[in-house]
Amino acid sequence: MKDYRIIFEKKDNMKYISHLDLNRCMIRSVRRSGLPAWYTEGFHPHLYLMFPLALSLGTESICEVMDLRLTEEVSEQEILEKLNSALPKGLHAICVREPDNQAQDITSAEYILELSSPEIADLKSCWLNFFHQPEILTQKRTKKGMREIDIKPVLKIEKISTQDNKLKLILKLPAGNDGNINTSVVIDAFKKYAGKPILINYLCRTKIFCKNSQEFL
Amino acid sequence: MMKNKIEKFLLDVQKPSRYTGGEVGEIIKDKSKIDVRFAFCFPDIYDVGMSHLGMKILYSLMNERENYWCERVFAPWVDMEKIMRQEHILLYALESGDAIKDFDFIGFTLQYEMSYTNILNMLDLAGVPVLQKDRGEQLAPLVVAGGPCACNPEPLADFFDLFILGEGEEVNLELLDLYHTMKHAGATRSEFLKQACQIEGIYVPSFYEVNYHENGTVKEILPHENAPKIIKKRVIKNLDKCYYPEQVVVPFIEPVHDRISVEVLRGCIRGCRFCQAGFLYRPFREKSAEKICQQGITLCKNSGYDELSLSSLSTSDHSQIEKIFDELLEYTEQEHINLSLPSLRIDNFSKSVLDKVTRIRKSGLTFAPEAGTQRLRDVINKNITEEEVMKTCQIAFAGGYTAVKLYFMMGLPTETDEDIIGIAALAQKIVDLFYHMPEHAKGKLQVSVSTATFVPKPFTPFEFEPQATKDEILRKQKILKKAITSKKIKTSMHISDVSQMEAVLARGDRRLCAVIYDAWKNGCHMDSWEEFFNASKWYEAFRKNNLSPEFYANRTRNYDEIMPWSHLDYFISRKFLIRENQKAHQEQITKSCRESCTGCGTNQSLGRACF
Repeated sequence: MKDYRIIFEKKDNMKYISHLDLNRCMIRSVRRSGLPAWYTEGFHPHLYLMFPLALSLGTESICEVMDLRLTEEVSEQEILEKLNSALPKGLHAICVREPDNQAQDITSAEYILELSSPEIADLKSCWLNFFHQPEILTQKRTKKGMREIDIKPVLKIEKISTQDNKLKLILKLPAGNDGNINTSVVIDAFKKYAGKPILINYLCRTKIFCKNSQEFL
Repeated sequence: MMKNKIEKFLLDVQKPSRYTGGEVGEIIKDKSKIDVRFAFCFPDIYDVGMSHLGMKILYSLMNERENYWCERVFAPWVDMEKIMRQEHILLYALESGDAIKDFDFIGFTLQYEMSYTNILNMLDLAGVPVLQKDRGEQLAPLVVAGGPCACNPEPLADFFDLFILGEGEEVNLELLDLYHTMKHAGATRSEFLKQACQIEGIYVPSFYEVNYHENGTVKEILPHENAPKIIKKRVIKNLDKCYYPEQVVVPFIEPVHDRISVEVLRGCIRGCRFCQAGFLYRPFREKSAEKICQQGITLCKNSGYDELSLSSLSTSDHSQIEKIFDELLEYTEQEHINLSLPSLRIDNFSKSVLDKVTRIRKSGLTFAPEAGTQRLRDVINKNITEEEVMKTCQIAFAGGYTAVKLYFMMGLPTETDEDIIGIAALAQKIVDLFYHMPEHAKGKLQVSVSTATFVPKPFTPFEFEPQATKDEILRKQKILKKAITSKKIKTSMHISDVSQMEAVLARGDRRLCAVIYDAWKNGCHMDSWEEFFNASKWYEAFRKNNLSPEFYANRTRNYDEIMPWSHLDYFISRKFLIRENQKAHQEQITKSCRESCTGCGTNQSLGRACF
């Protein structure tokens, strides 16, 4: 029995697959791959898969993580080959490693966003004005219903640039069990601030971090 | 390409992957090398259509031909439909993303009557004229349909170029081949239809003239254009030699039935008098145990599914069922696959079969006694005795089952209040049995009783019978509710408005085309979804066309009446149906086909014995 951590991409049409659907899709892909998957013991044995961090619908990613347990040791190369031959287009395993960190170690994640707006002349300054407010209040859906939160303290811009009035941002947002902020929460707040339609051209998760900005391994 | 246009709206709708395609098992081809493009349309949403076995078979079958490309099309859910109409996005096929109006064929499967308005809506969304006569002389797209409801396609006659009767595996390819040849020759639509109607199983409704008596019944059905007087359904001779897919499209979202299916047999030996499928799909044919196991294993391997269903009208009637179980269980248990058996009959549910099912999964047990008393079960020829029900429940309870689902019909011919009270009595007896068993399982017992309103259907011995009126059904539902006293028994009862409309459409004639058209124009669609069915809009459409739903649903038909489907031959003779109807009223049962031939006429049409 051995655990493997698989880093995979979720791109193109696969961004429209919900977390639950991804789970089902991965189970079937592993079954098709012929890898010696480990099944839970008990009355209804099921294939053991674990996703340390969910990705919201509509977001692409180049850094998704899935932990898979196999009954025997298999080379990384073989896992990659077998899994990739079974995955649908848009899902692609990049590398396999031994799990180091645990799901609860995750603290933040990095995203690339590309936004545009036909009705806002200078989208970058609009964004900066939005960002430099003393507080950024917005609605977040929680288990207890909608709750108002201030995202100013946790919102970090890693990089900002523009091209043809397309605003390109690299954002770092809290992720994991101790408070997760979706990009949609930020974008909704920005839309509300701008008061004009804003289009998301591209949205992709690029990195997952643990404490002290260590990458999740 | 429509798919690009829809991309920016995908996050505004529920379950966006209904509209993207890209699933494992999807078949993509190079358009430039394709001679015939076929849009296989299921007139309901993706989640429903992706559960349909027939579509999986015909999709793979047509795509086996290198130069033909069959793609999937489903009705968009209302949120997406709104966007498509606002943004002028035409209905497209999932594989290529191309608008289906540019395809050679637009083919619908007719699975249930309440999907008819969705067909009109889908054609309209596709930008294709809804009425056949408005499609002109250009050859494509040809709008065609098959499936069980094609046995009386008259209410849809104005919308389709042709219907395909019976089993599609052979005739679909014959039709596509003819089209391929005639397309190259530059044929017009009517030239093609004149040739197509000569293929056995192809019915071109526009070549037939229907005249009516003053009382509204059919007077005569006259063929024109040299079309055959009687159109025979198609039947596959040998299931082992018949095409069956080795891979299916595996959806991302969870469809209604999220599993792989192997068809184990076609037809049914039982002859339950209410059951249309039991007559339409005759003769009874089994697939060999070897083929079933081989196909099941191949499909599991290729798809990655962890549930395999053995599907048919009555799986336990397969003569080698235990052998199939043994062989398949050996594989499925090792591979962690659930074997599911949706159509097991109560009477031959033996201890050893039950043991095997128990090994698979301990969930609920489902029975369909259909009627509450032995008298009424004899009338409908559902040959199950109360003793058998109790015996099976006893085995099941001893095996640890704690949930029993019972399905019944209301409004059956000759039904009395006593029969309704019998439903409650049977459910109560099951509850009592459970608690009287010394070693009954600890879990909480739940007996659910579901009742549906009986809908008389063509090609059954009850095709002559009136449907019970809505008031009568409501009265009987009240009686049943009152008769059920145990808290262990839960009831759910089907609304009767929908059932009435089903009865109308099932036995309707061509004049209903105008009603369906007007109902759709009035906004009716997604009628099989409770929240969208609007009875008053349907009634309005009837009034506008001077027709009454009661004429179709609640009228007794004479044995010699010409039915709207009398020119369609499903191998079931009228004489047999009359005989069975008389026997029903005499409360006499008919044995299964395996015990003795019932003389339904199928063997004469086939020119051979069924067994």
